[in-house]
Amino acid sequence: MKVEDKNWFNVFKIALPLCISYIPIGLACGILLHSAGFNILFTGLLSIMVFSGGAQFLIASMLVIHAPLLQVLLMLFFLEMRYALLSASLSPFLKKEPVPFLIYFSSSMNDENYAINYLKFATDKKWNGHQAVMVNHFSLLFWTISNMVGSTVGNLIHFDVNLVNFTLTALFGYMLVMQIKNLLSILVASLSAILSVWLIIAMRSTMGLVVATLVSSFLGFLIEHGLEGRSNPLLLRSLRLRRRHEGFKDSPKETTDDHE
Amino acid sequence: MSNLDYFILIITAAMVAFIPRVIPLLYFSKRKIPVWFNEWMKYIPVALFTALIAKDVFVTSNYTYNAKNLIEIISTILVFLVAAKTKSMLVTVVVGLVAIMGLALIF
Repeated sequence: MKVEDKNWFNVFKIALPLCISYIPIGLACGILLHSAGFNILFTGLLSIMVFSGGAQFLIASMLVIHAPLLQVLLMLFFLEMRYALLSASLSPFLKKEPVPFLIYFSSSMNDENYAINYLKFATDKKWNGHQAVMVNHFSLLFWTISNMVGSTVGNLIHFDVNLVNFTLTALFGYMLVMQIKNLLSILVASLSAILSVWLIIAMRSTMGLVVATLVSSFLGFLIEHGLEGRSNPLLLRSLRLRRRHEGFKDSPKETTDDHE
Repeated sequence: MSNLDYFILIITAAMVAFIPRVIPLLYFSKRKIPVWFNEWMKYIPVALFTALIAKDVFVTSNYTYNAKNLIEIISTILVFLVAAKTKSMLVTVVVGLVAIMGLALIF
C-alpha cells in the first residue's frame, strides 16, 4: 500500500503527546534497568522486544531482589495477559489486513498506543492499519531511546518513579474520558475500578485487572442489550463528552435540540 | 547474572509479551465473529483504562491497598476535569504531571 508523503507527519502529530510522555517514564525505566544490571545494549533490546513500561519496571524490580527467572516470567505472563484484551478489541478494525501485517502490528502494540489507535479507529473512518503501525513505531522509538539514555546518564538524575509513572495514569485518564459516551459507560468504569482494586489485591497479581475488565465490560454489554428497544433510556443518553464524529454506528440517535 | 542470562531473560520476556498480543488478533480478525462479541469488545477500553487507573491510584507495587494516595486521587480528578474540558491529550498529561509534582512538594 502506498503511503502519502505527508501522512507520516500527520500521524506523528497524533502520536506526539504520547511520545513526549514516554521521555520521563523511559528515562526512569532505564535508570531502574541500569541498577538491575542491564547495560545500554540490553536496555535497548529489552525496550524494543518487550516494549511495555509495566513489564520493564517489573523485570528491574524483581532482578534487584534476585528473583529466579521462572518467577519473573510467570509474573510477566500475568501482567501481559491484558494485551489479549487490547488485541481482541482491536481485531474488528483490522479484519482486512493480511496475517503477516497482524503479526508485525502486534509486536509493537502496547497499552498507550492501543489507546490512541482505538480512539482513532472508532472515530475516524479513514484511519487505517498502516497509520496505526506508525503510531506504534513512533512511540517505540521514543520509548527505546529514552530507556537507553536513562541507562547511560541515569545516575546523574534523581526521579521519583511513582510520580513519573503518574504521566501514564494521566494518559489513561484522558483516554477514559474520551471513551465516556453515556451513563452506562460511567457505570462500567466505576464497576471496573472497584472490581480491579479488589481482585488485584485478592489475587495478588495483575490477573485481577484482566478479570475485572472482562467482567465489567461484559456486564456493560448485557445491560445495553437489556435496554435495547426502549425509547431513549437514561443510561444510554449521549453525554457529549466525545470529540466530533460519534464513530459508533449503534450509538443512540441524537436529536439536534438536546443542548446542555 | 552473566550476559547470556540477560539475553535469555530478554528473549523469553519478549515471547511472553508477544504471545498474548498476537494470538487474539490473529484469531478474531480471521474468523466470522458473532455480533455480540464485538458489542462486548466495545466496552473493553472503558473498563480497561479505569482498571489501570484504579490500580495506579489504589494498589501498591506489593499488591496491597495504597492508603497514602491523597495526592494521586486529587491529581486524577483534576486529570478527568481537564480532559473533559480541553479534550487535549498533551494538556491533560502536562497538567497531571505538574499537579502531582506540585502536590508532592506541598504534602
